[in-house]
This record gives sequence, structure tokens and C-alpha cells, in this order.
Amino acid sequence: MAKVLTMADTKREQRRAYWSLVLPGFLLYIAVMAFPTIFSVVLSLTSYNGGKLFGGRPVEMVGLKWYKRLFADEYFYRALKNNLWIVLVSVLGQIPLGFFLAYVLYRGLVRARDFFQTMIYLPTVISTVVIGILWKSFFAPHGAFPELMRIFRPGYEYTMGSHPMIPVLFVILWMYSGMYMIIFMANLQKIDNAVIEAARIDGASEMQVLRHVILPALSGVIVVTAILAISGSLKSFDLIYVMTGGGPANRTSVLSIYMFDKAFKGAPNYPLANAISTVMVIISFALIGLTKFAENKFGGRE
Amino acid sequence: MNDIKDHNTRSRLGSVGIYLVMIFFTVMALYPLFWLMVSSFKTTTEFQMNKLGFPKKWVTINYKDAWVRGKFPMLIVNSVIYTGITTLAILVFSAMAGFGFAKIRHKATPILYGSFVIGILLTLQSIMVPLFLIVNWVGLYNTRLGVLIPYIGIGMPMGVYLGTEYIKSIPDALVESARIDGATYGRIFWRIIVPMSIPVAVTVAILTVTGTWNEFMLINILTSSDGLKSLPVGVQKFAGALSTDYGKQFAALVIGLIPMLLFYLAFRKEITKGVAAGAVKG
Repeated sequence: MAKVLTMADTKREQRRAYWSLVLPGFLLYIAVMAFPTIFSVVLSLTSYNGGKLFGGRPVEMVGLKWYKRLFADEYFYRALKNNLWIVLVSVLGQIPLGFFLAYVLYRGLVRARDFFQTMIYLPTVISTVVIGILWKSFFAPHGAFPELMRIFRPGYEYTMGSHPMIPVLFVILWMYSGMYMIIFMANLQKIDNAVIEAARIDGASEMQVLRHVILPALSGVIVVTAILAISGSLKSFDLIYVMTGGGPANRTSVLSIYMFDKAFKGAPNYPLANAISTVMVIISFALIGLTKFAENKFGGRE
Repeated sequence: MNDIKDHNTRSRLGSVGIYLVMIFFTVMALYPLFWLMVSSFKTTTEFQMNKLGFPKKWVTINYKDAWVRGKFPMLIVNSVIYTGITTLAILVFSAMAGFGFAKIRHKATPILYGSFVIGILLTLQSIMVPLFLIVNWVGLYNTRLGVLIPYIGIGMPMGVYLGTEYIKSIPDALVESARIDGATYGRIFWRIIVPMSIPVAVTVAILTVTGTWNEFMLINILTSSDGLKSLPVGVQKFAGALSTDYGKQFAALVIGLIPMLLFYLAFRKEITKGVAAGAVKG
């Protein structure tokens, strides 16, 4: 026998069900992500530097003091510059390379697509820590890299020490190009194959198909991947932490490493670290705005 | 006639060229890993003499040493615990929230759901310091719970987003007719929503497992005891410290990469699908 529910009962039950379904996830999210983000902004405006928040040393509001300090620090700009280098490698290296690989596989220009895709994507799934130590040993002054170079160029002298960012950027290119390949593959597969076939039958060359059919269909994705490259650069931490720790002399530092050093290395400076994280949040939100703008302009998600 | 023949030769040359390029990139992707595996079977002394070739004598002593001294059995168990609980919790909580957002009308939905969607774009790095301070205050520093709660919270935005969008596609009529038959929301959740959401659950599980298994930064900050460390932190502490004992270091790295390698080879279709679904949104 089905129980007969009155309208008011149904409404109340519905509300109760809604909150008990939604709240656990929402509270976790607020506690772990939303609140710390806001909290970090607040702390960056105070003198709080560890210990009890209440009852300890009184916490003062100090305004933009830490931001002034931050924007006067040359290491901040050095880190920011390295973040931009990573974005550059993504936009000029990973995205074109990922697109090229995806295109070759999608158009069936080679057989064994599955094999190539599986192998090229492989580096992306392995723990960044393993990758970082592996390449650190490989690029070490007495590691395998100089040895390998001497096979091709006898008398090769190890000079990576004077350009410490080059190995880091190379590893980033090596590790994540496969990710862009996968993203482009997924979106290429959404293009109606009939359009391409029709263009080919009408005598369009492979290059013409690429220029007039495929690239226009992917313009939105290309913009989104470029934004992804910027947020990816903000996320880079593990690999650099393990490979170089930001060194030598902060020359491979990025914003996240710079923040980590301020908070966890030597005497902690939490307000300054929070100011750095606020700068990163602001960049992230600017990216959200940019994504929305790009979506409206180029149409549709994906 | 000559034209066609010419065209054929040229396209065959082009095809060979493309194969060469693809093989080049495949070798580039695999060579470092191959080099690592081969090197892990050399003694450190041999490695220093012979950095690129095959070992003259293949030894397994590095693995025995690293396995015991790096405490790998414990690290692997820890990683399984963190990854398993996190994945399970994210699946349940995001299916619940997704059901609520997609199938029960409520005026709070735009705000709550909207805040999850914004959360997808927040970077974990930007909350590292405040999260460390908060975990300390609530007394969860250096505890398993102090790692698990952040892991679950961080995974919620993507899980809720993918879950909600998927559950929206389940016909309302199914839920409504079950309601008319007198089923409670709890029953509808377990009997209708969960079984029908398996495909999206696979995607969310894949993203969570790969993300949590490889996570390094947070657990490194939030714990200090050896007994709580996950595989990546253990590998970093052990292998990272062995700056000259290459044999053991390489063996430790190989042990560190094998679980994910097997997982990838077993679920590569699902992984690439999940990454494509997650990345463009993230």
C-alpha cells in the first residue's frame, strides 16, 4: 500500500531530502576549498604569523603591507617569469605538438593508432615525483645526458648548469604534451566525418581540409587549451620541487615554489605566503572570466 | 599517367615520413623510462662506468634493498588506503549532491551548484598555506583524517559537476513515477540514480584515483610521521636522498612507477576518456 502524502508533507520531505543529499559534499567543499581561499585573502592583510589565532599575540590589520613587500621582491618577478616560460612552452610547444599528434592519429595517417596514443600519453600518468627524480639523475652533470650528447657530438661540454630552466621546461614539454593530444583527439572526434569526406571528394587537399574544416571547428578548444596552459603553469609544483627545489639560487622557482619557501622553509612568513596565494587566486579568477568570455565569443563548451 | 605515379610515390614518401615522426615521438616518450628500468639492474659501480648501455650482469639486489629500506610495503598500503577511501567518499558524496541538484527543485541550487563550478578552477596550490594552518588548528596535523578530508574536499567540485550534468540526463519521469509509487528519496537514490550513473562514476573514479595516487604536495605538508606517508612522498624521501647510490635510487623509482603503469595499461581507454572530460572543464 502506497502511503498517501499530502502536499505539505511532500514539500517538507523534498526539502529535507535535498539538504541531506547536498550538504555533506557542500560542507566538505566549503571547509577545504572555499573557506581557505577567502581566509588566505584575509590573513594576507594581517600580521598573523602562526600560533593561536585568538588569545595569543594580538593580530593586527596591516593593510597592503605584504603586497608592497611582495611587489618589491626581485624573487617574486623571477618566479613569475618562470611561470611565463612554462606558459610559453605550453602554448608554443605542447599545444601545437599535441594538435599535430592528435591530427595524425585522428585522420588515420598511421596504423596502430591505439599503440601510438597509449605510448605517447604514458609519461603523463606516472607520478611527477618519480619523473622528477628520474630526470634529475638523467640531467646531472655526471649523468646520462652528457654521455648521450657525446655520441652525437664528441667533445660536448655540459652547460646545463648555466641554464637551469631548460631541463625543467624540457621535462614539462615531455611529460604533458600527451595530455593536449588527448584533449584534441576527443574534440576532433566530435567533428562530423561526413563534412571531411565530402570536402575530400570535392578535391580538397589534406591541408585545405585542415585549414577550412578542422581548424575553424576547433577554435574554441584551442582557446580553452591556451587558458588551461596558464592554469597548468600555476599548478606546477611537484616536478620543480623534486627536480631542482627552485634552485640554484631560486633560478627555477615558480610562484608556488616561492610561496612554499616563504611558508615552510626557514623562518615562516605566513602573511607573505598568503599574499602570494592571493595573487594566484586573482590570476585564477581572471582566467575564469577569460574562459567565460572565450566561450561566449567562440561558442559552446568543449 | 606519369602524374599519378608521381603523386603515389610522393604520398608514399609522405606516409613513411609521418611514420618516422610518430616513431620518433614514441621513442622520446619511452626512452627515459626504458633507460631507468635498464639502469635499475646495474650495480652503482657499473652504472658509473656504463651509463647508457645494457648491464654486463643483470642484478636484482637493488630491488631487494630498496624494497626493504624504502619501506615500500607500508607506503603502498598507505597509498591504497588514501586512494580507496578518497575515491569512495567522492563517488558517494558527488552522486548525492548531483541527485539533489539535478532532480529536486530548490531555490538554493543556482548558488550552491555555481560555487562548485567555480571551485573547479581554483588551484590547489593557492590554498596550500591556509589549509596547512587550518588543519593545524583543528588538531588534524599529522593524522590520516587530516589528509583524507582535504583530499575528499578537493575532489568534490569536479565530481559534483560531472555527476550533476550526467544525472540531469536521466529522465525526470523515472524519479517522479517512483515518487508516486511511494518510494523515498533514499530508495530512489540507491535503486535508480546509482545504477544509472555507473558510466560517470567510472570517469570520476579514474580522475580521483590517478589524482590522489600521485598527489605529493599536500601530504608532504600535512604529515610528518613516516608511518603516514604515501608512495610518492616515500619515493621522494628515500630516492631523493640517495644522490649517488644510483642502483637503489633507480630501483625505488621503478617500484614507484609500476602501480600507476599497470593501472594505466589496464584502464587506458577509460583514463584518456576521463582526462578529456575533466581537463576541458578544469
